[in-house]
Amino acid sequence: MKFADIIALAWRNLRQARLRTSLTVIGVIVGVAAIVTMVSFGLGLQNNLLRDALARIDLFTSITVMGPGTDALLAMRDQGQDGAVNDNGAGESKGEKSEVAASATPEPSPTPTRMLDDAAIDELQGISGVRYVVPNFSFSNYVRFEGRTRRAFIGGAPQSIEYNPRFKKFLAGRHFTAASAREVVVTERFVSWVRSKNKPNGNRRRRPGGPFQMAPTRSEEERAREANGILGKEIVFLIPREQDAPPSAVFGIPIIDASSSENGDFASEFGAQYEELVYRVVGVLKAEDGFDINNFMETDMFIPLDQAKEFRDANRDPMSRIGEFLAGDTGYQNAEVRVIDVAQVESVKEEIRKRGFRVWSLTNQIEEVKRIFLIVNSALALIGGISLLVASFGISNTMIMSIRERTREIGVMKAIGGSDGEIMRIFFVEASLIGLAGGALGVLGGWGIDRLADTLANKWILKQVGQTVRRIEFFSIPWYLTTSAILFAIVVSLIAAIYPALRAAKVDPIKALRYE
Amino acid sequence: MAILEARNVTREYRMKAETVCALAEVSVAVERGDFVAILGTSGSGKSTLLNLFGGLDRPTSGEILFDGQSLEPLSSWEMSRYRLRRVGMIFQSFNLIPTMTARENVALALAFAGLGQGERRRRSLELLDRVGLLKRADHLPSELSGGEQQRVSIARAIANEPQVLLADEPTGNLDSSRAAEVMGVLDEMRLRDGKTIVLVTHDRELADRFATRVIRLKDGKVITG
Repeated sequence: MKFADIIALAWRNLRQARLRTSLTVIGVIVGVAAIVTMVSFGLGLQNNLLRDALARIDLFTSITVMGPGTDALLAMRDQGQDGAVNDNGAGESKGEKSEVAASATPEPSPTPTRMLDDAAIDELQGISGVRYVVPNFSFSNYVRFEGRTRRAFIGGAPQSIEYNPRFKKFLAGRHFTAASAREVVVTERFVSWVRSKNKPNGNRRRRPGGPFQMAPTRSEEERAREANGILGKEIVFLIPREQDAPPSAVFGIPIIDASSSENGDFASEFGAQYEELVYRVVGVLKAEDGFDINNFMETDMFIPLDQAKEFRDANRDPMSRIGEFLAGDTGYQNAEVRVIDVAQVESVKEEIRKRGFRVWSLTNQIEEVKRIFLIVNSALALIGGISLLVASFGISNTMIMSIRERTREIGVMKAIGGSDGEIMRIFFVEASLIGLAGGALGVLGGWGIDRLADTLANKWILKQVGQTVRRIEFFSIPWYLTTSAILFAIVVSLIAAIYPALRAAKVDPIKALRYE
Repeated sequence: MAILEARNVTREYRMKAETVCALAEVSVAVERGDFVAILGTSGSGKSTLLNLFGGLDRPTSGEILFDGQSLEPLSSWEMSRYRLRRVGMIFQSFNLIPTMTARENVALALAFAGLGQGERRRRSLELLDRVGLLKRADHLPSELSGGEQQRVSIARAIANEPQVLLADEPTGNLDSSRAAEVMGVLDEMRLRDGKTIVLVTHDRELADRFATRVIRLKDGKVITG
């Protein structure tokens, strides 16, 4: 018998017991819908975190390189002088030399041993696979805009921003024209400060803290108009006047010398006068909602990197100055290395680590998070699977009932030449049709539940937050979930049909035909 | 050579503790083109013998031969092919599938033979025409008379052109005029197409009227034949 005929026969059998078939299919629908809803929720969660939030800012190709920092530099210097005082402290042999810090710690992220200064940045830039290296730093400085003064956070931006996700979207204007230009790119955070002047009692709601950013409340056109209004205007930086005698940056100056000079620093700090530097706003960066791990939008404006470095040096707070004075040049706290391809992250990290820096990237954390989600999703699938298990008993029951009713028919089929295998196949096909229908409708049902829950949840959030938030997709139904849910329903149905189908195949035609 | 032959066939049924012997050391041969009637009272083993000939059952000992070949070594699947192509069975209670029309019932046998949709339709109508039921092709068995139903089942039995037709009390549920009609169709199959007919009945008159040879069974043994 042709397979198409077997399907036709199975279909006919199911149609003859419409009510029973429908009820059985409903059981499968509930089971599959439960699985789909559960798993899609887990996957949605995963997506919100990994795909939308993290991938949006291209974190996967980013490596953070950390220098030793002031305290570590001081400790290194002490070790170099005194012999050995390492972290483990007591019990360590006094005879060890300073190489200890460099070589004897095979931890996953050993203490950095090299200073992250401009020379180091240039060196990292030379590693193959690296697209760019940008030191990360910001400093605060007083700025004046349209007669108002405030303290602002200022960052340095490289001249080349081609692949830099931070400078992807401009709401208005453009990037600096040259590294030496007195030009500034502001963020929307700054724009909102400007706006607050015009509406002193306007929306005082603060942006929530933490890495998750709410979508701006205004329409994009309105924001762009506002941003264009700022373009070309002046921002005046109030810079402390250069010190007469900047602190010496010589490594290894005795502490006694340092303390006398330190007092002098404080004195000059407090007696400082400000000088004014005029910058012109050339661009407004667009704030993006979602996940911003670097709190990048907490920065108010960016100026060319080299200029920012100068300001930073001139603008250190007293405590850093002491540290720097004691330890020598401290370099940057960290820098961002962007690799060309995700696959190169590990090799580049290893390369940087060899050069004596501490490195960190999201990739290993991502793997960990994925593993956790796999467990969570499996648990959710299991819970949903229980209802499919229940449904499978329904399938078995339906099939057995159907075989009892059709014993005679099975006998006839055998008498006129139907084989055991053909009879068995009819019932397996019946079961898979139940599974297919239940699976497909179940996925549809799960999708419906997801949409409904999504809508309700988003409405609720809207009500709570009271402003337009980017719609959050709590659920995700990827194609593989759809396919595997339907396939799983079919497989479960087939398993449920094993016993009934065997029983059908074993029907004795003589007995089946004997009874009137 | 005999087309169907039973050699020392014994068929026992185990029922709880006791063993019932339906056939004991039966040997009969059916020649090609014969119309053989197997006569006997109920419980004489005549239906058992027919089921063995039809490949629905296997003997406890002895063997059944079709065209000189033993059915014993056939696998379950080969046995189903034997039922499909070599023999056609006709039952007292017709055994049509009640939810299928006359045509669909006939077509089912053709479907098991692997014929395509169009071919099945054409063949099944042709077969119904042969038994004079072309006009009733789209009727359900419940809409047909007993005689008509039996003619449909004959059409189904000859669907895959078997050489042998095995009929188990085909007229048992019919009045005498319908019975004669059905027997006439069977006889025609023999005369026109050279089919071999094996008829199981308890009706001696019917046997005498149509059969070319009568085998009498009593208590699982052949008494004449």
